[in-house]
Amino acid sequence: MNTSLIVLIIIPLATAFAIPFIDVFSNKARKYLVVLSTFVELFVLIIIILNNYRYILNGTLFLKYYMGNWIPPIGITLGMDMLSLFFSTMITFAMVFIVIYSIGFIGHHEGKYYVLLFLIWSAMQGIILTGDIFNMDVFLELLLITSAPLVAFKRNKEGTEAAIKYMFYGTIGGLFVFIGVVLVYYNLGTLNFADISRNFNSLSFFIKKMISIFFLLGIFIKLGIFPFHFWLSKAHSACPSSVSALLSGVIVKVYVYVFIRLFWNVIGFEVLIENGLDKVILVVALISSIIGHIMALNEDDIKKMLAYSTVANLGMIIAVLTLNTKLAIIAALLHVFGHLLMKVSLFTTTGYLLQFTPGHKLEDFKGVAYKNKLLFVGFVVAVGGMIGLPPMIGFSSKWFILKAFINQDIHWGSIIIIVGSIIAFVYYIRFIIYGFKKTSIGTPDKFRLILSVFYRERVVTDIAIFFAVAVIIAGIFYKFALIPINGAAEMLQNPYIYVETILGG
Amino acid sequence: MINNFVFVALFLLGFYAILVKKNLIKMVIGLNIMEGAIFYWFITLTDRGGTIPIVNSSQVVTNLNDPIPQALILTGIVIGASTSSFLLTLIIELNKFTSSTNPDQLGGMIED
Repeated sequence: MNTSLIVLIIIPLATAFAIPFIDVFSNKARKYLVVLSTFVELFVLIIIILNNYRYILNGTLFLKYYMGNWIPPIGITLGMDMLSLFFSTMITFAMVFIVIYSIGFIGHHEGKYYVLLFLIWSAMQGIILTGDIFNMDVFLELLLITSAPLVAFKRNKEGTEAAIKYMFYGTIGGLFVFIGVVLVYYNLGTLNFADISRNFNSLSFFIKKMISIFFLLGIFIKLGIFPFHFWLSKAHSACPSSVSALLSGVIVKVYVYVFIRLFWNVIGFEVLIENGLDKVILVVALISSIIGHIMALNEDDIKKMLAYSTVANLGMIIAVLTLNTKLAIIAALLHVFGHLLMKVSLFTTTGYLLQFTPGHKLEDFKGVAYKNKLLFVGFVVAVGGMIGLPPMIGFSSKWFILKAFINQDIHWGSIIIIVGSIIAFVYYIRFIIYGFKKTSIGTPDKFRLILSVFYRERVVTDIAIFFAVAVIIAGIFYKFALIPINGAAEMLQNPYIYVETILGG
Repeated sequence: MINNFVFVALFLLGFYAILVKKNLIKMVIGLNIMEGAIFYWFITLTDRGGTIPIVNSSQVVTNLNDPIPQALILTGIVIGASTSSFLLTLIIELNKFTSSTNPDQLGGMIED
């Protein structure tokens, strides 16, 4: 029993509900509250890590908390194993910096913005820590309905359209997940992850297949994998850049977590193999990867291009995961980490650079490098990571992915990934070249006055540069990230550890 | 068995509304029909024809219906209500810009 797990969920939730009341009295107090609670959350997580560092180094960390002291399989269990720890740490650190970035970046309706941001944070922690399938479904819906208002946050036509699309696709995905939950409960009479995992093989072949297909459909719609990738580019580009960074960098990783947790710990990957679904997922994910790159190449709008790059990278992550070797899982988790850093870095830097441009198009990017040289170097660094240049984190993760493909003798997969990287090089380099182009007339600064929403430029640039530095540092010291990743891969290879630890008392 | 057919029919009806109807509000209604289909299906699947909980401690009951699906569906209804109300809010907001509820004018639901 470890109470700190529930605290991780409650702190952002309580902050979200406290903000409107604080807001009535003073705006300044709200800012302090926001910063305070991000750091309290970070503090709790660091305490958890420090208290259990021995288990983390061994790769045997397992914390659990029974809600209301109900012994499983009755009641909701919260559990933190190496996988949850990895995702939870990643998301907490990213959110701390995104919140600070937002303080500089968002200049209107701040009260509402932070309420939604903290509800999203709470939902993400809930999804990652819960051990109950229906609870996870509820948190998924909470994540959807709190992130959709942020998509429409600019209150213009594009934002509203994108939010409507996002809500439709997300709700339909949620319905498919709910059908999966109904089938699980009807056939097994339980909602606990460990209990489902223990009894899942007693089901008939058909039911197992149906459950897997419904969960897959739901998660793929929410992830934006190939046949359902239409909504993602709009939703991830119509919002303010801080929200784009959150959606494209952090929230999609939560859906990747759901995919891993469901298909390795709960349903079991051998079910997918015996149904022949793993090859289907591999092909679909690789198609999604190449299509994402091609769509990004066609796109002139930088934020839409970055969003399509997310589609491509998610396809890559899912494709590698389906190889189901230890190396493949390590590669996928490392790329999850790397893509989070790089995508947040790209969106934070472009969010700043776009303040100097009249629009989001390629031509508007002319001469933007001379506006803030250091920040543009940060942009170039993040782009280098996305392409896969050493010493950025993108290089090490892509290296692992290629190794995983080659070890399994799926050479066409590695070829697709290399081709994708080359396409990525082409579509990113355009923006760098245009950024360095000298403009005859100085880029009009009047646009800045119209568009500028930030009033604390220093905070924005510092965070953006911090993320760019983090991309390099993570690339050099990626071995430290491998400590939790190795443990997580080890645990995913032996799902019975999860079952025994949850149900064993 | 008939329940499964009713579920599939209702679910596809809602799906049809989302795919074919040229009115965003009708599409929201379709979404609600899909949700309702799942709730109906879940209730009928887990109905054993027994006594409905809550039961007095003095009563001796041999066949009791499972109360958990009802709790899950209550949560599901709340989620569905909030989703559709938020979607309708967004549609009202969109109406300010385009004065239309046709999804095709937004570039369609399926195209980019």
